[in-house]
Amino acid sequence: MRALYTAATGMAAQELNVQVISNNIANLRTTGYKKQRAAFQDLIYDHVRRVGAQASDQGTILPVGIDLGGGVKTVGTPRLMSQGTLSMTGNDLDIAIRGEGFFKIQMPDGTYQYTRDGTFQMDNQGRIVNAQGNPVQPTITIPQNSSGITINAQGQVSVTLPGSTTPTVLGQIGLTRFINKAGLQPVGDNNFTETPASGPPQDGVANIDGYGDMQQSNLEQANVEVVSEISDLIAAQRAYEMNAKVISAADQMLQSAAALFR
Amino acid sequence: MENTLLIGLSRQMMLERQMDVVANNVANVNTNGYKADRSLFEEYLMPVAHEDNFVGGDRRLSFVQDRATFHDFAGGPTEQTKNPLDVAIDGKAFLVVQTPAGERYTRDGGLQINAQGQLVTASGSPVLGTNGPITFQQTDHDIAISDDGTVTVIEGTNNAADSIRGKLRLVSFAQAQKLLKEGSNLYAAGEGNIARPDTTARVRQGFIERSNVSAVSEMSRMVEVSRAYTQMATLLQQQSELQRSAIEKLADVPA
Repeated sequence: MRALYTAATGMAAQELNVQVISNNIANLRTTGYKKQRAAFQDLIYDHVRRVGAQASDQGTILPVGIDLGGGVKTVGTPRLMSQGTLSMTGNDLDIAIRGEGFFKIQMPDGTYQYTRDGTFQMDNQGRIVNAQGNPVQPTITIPQNSSGITINAQGQVSVTLPGSTTPTVLGQIGLTRFINKAGLQPVGDNNFTETPASGPPQDGVANIDGYGDMQQSNLEQANVEVVSEISDLIAAQRAYEMNAKVISAADQMLQSAAALFR
Repeated sequence: MENTLLIGLSRQMMLERQMDVVANNVANVNTNGYKADRSLFEEYLMPVAHEDNFVGGDRRLSFVQDRATFHDFAGGPTEQTKNPLDVAIDGKAFLVVQTPAGERYTRDGGLQINAQGQLVTASGSPVLGTNGPITFQQTDHDIAISDDGTVTVIEGTNNAADSIRGKLRLVSFAQAQKLLKEGSNLYAAGEGNIARPDTTARVRQGFIERSNVSAVSEMSRMVEVSRAYTQMATLLQQQSELQRSAIEKLADVPA
């Protein structure tokens, strides 16, 4: 009986849906996290009686056919790259991006990863690094004994050096854009890497040409909305239960068929 | 005597098919833009095995057969997602999708952008505008899709003026039932079914159309099918019981 397998695809899909939703809820307080959602599509159909087939030699055609569907499949878990709300932290090296763009982080092996998480620190050489200690590109080193770190909307980092009254610009933190940012691959640690789907990275600077601007002493919160996640969770759970019910109903039918023979 | 079994069997086969349709609807209860299927049955008069000329002639036998499944094109509930690339269609129209097999149609408005900057479906097929695929530039941001499907963006630093990137092609069909489900949320037009531009449908950005499967009615239909099947099985069992006892009684040779 096909219904058993069809309902099984439904259960598998809802299980994955719950997994995606639970990951969103788990990352409710993760800086720069972008929520995912599961996208489903129906499976291939068995056209038992094809619509539009000739019903007689008079040329009458079937207005409707018999199509039996095979269930559901998960086509992807696209990320919703909408802006998260900014929250003020008061920390000099916290930066939030308002608008398009990612921070570019150089990994120890020389490759680049991209993130929206602007929780930066200073390492022992004075470089601006992310929480894993990898430098933000281009690498900016803050001299010892300097004070008053300021990062403006364009990402220019300036400090006041000892013995000086005017701030000195040390460099400019860059932003990187992708034509399809939803196509980036998440690699954990709030980072993404480029993929053939995302398109090549385009480096630029904040606040021009459609790049977002930078907000010092702010962090971008996750764009997860609890209410919608919870209602999605309920819907997914109910859908799972209903598919289980279909399996037991189909099973009941098979049982009564089997009981014919004694 | 076998007719009861055969007629019962025809009913059971149809119920199994109906169960398959219900199962597919329930499996797609969370599939965006999915339209539920319904089964239609018809009476099938046994054409040969009757002779009315005798007194007390044979009775006509009516079997059951499934005539069709039809698509329920009622609108599904729309959910607000606030994603600029989600569109729900208010009306009977479909989005046009370019696939290797030709133009296909969908109601699933969960769109994405591919590496070439084209507007695509979740499975990566370009969504067509009135002038072919809709392609975005590298510096575009703040994508807006208006009620009539016009896609505008703000380009680079030019914050004042909108640049038009295309207009979503919306089509509808005179004979929507002819549409053939192909899986992947796509429909093929079917023979002689021509897609006509739809000017009345409205596009709503930031919303997505959910599946129009009504969980309650599917569940009650499922119970109905399962009970009817069991009932039929009981009937068949009684019939075979009858036959068995007849054979036993008739074959009983008195000592």
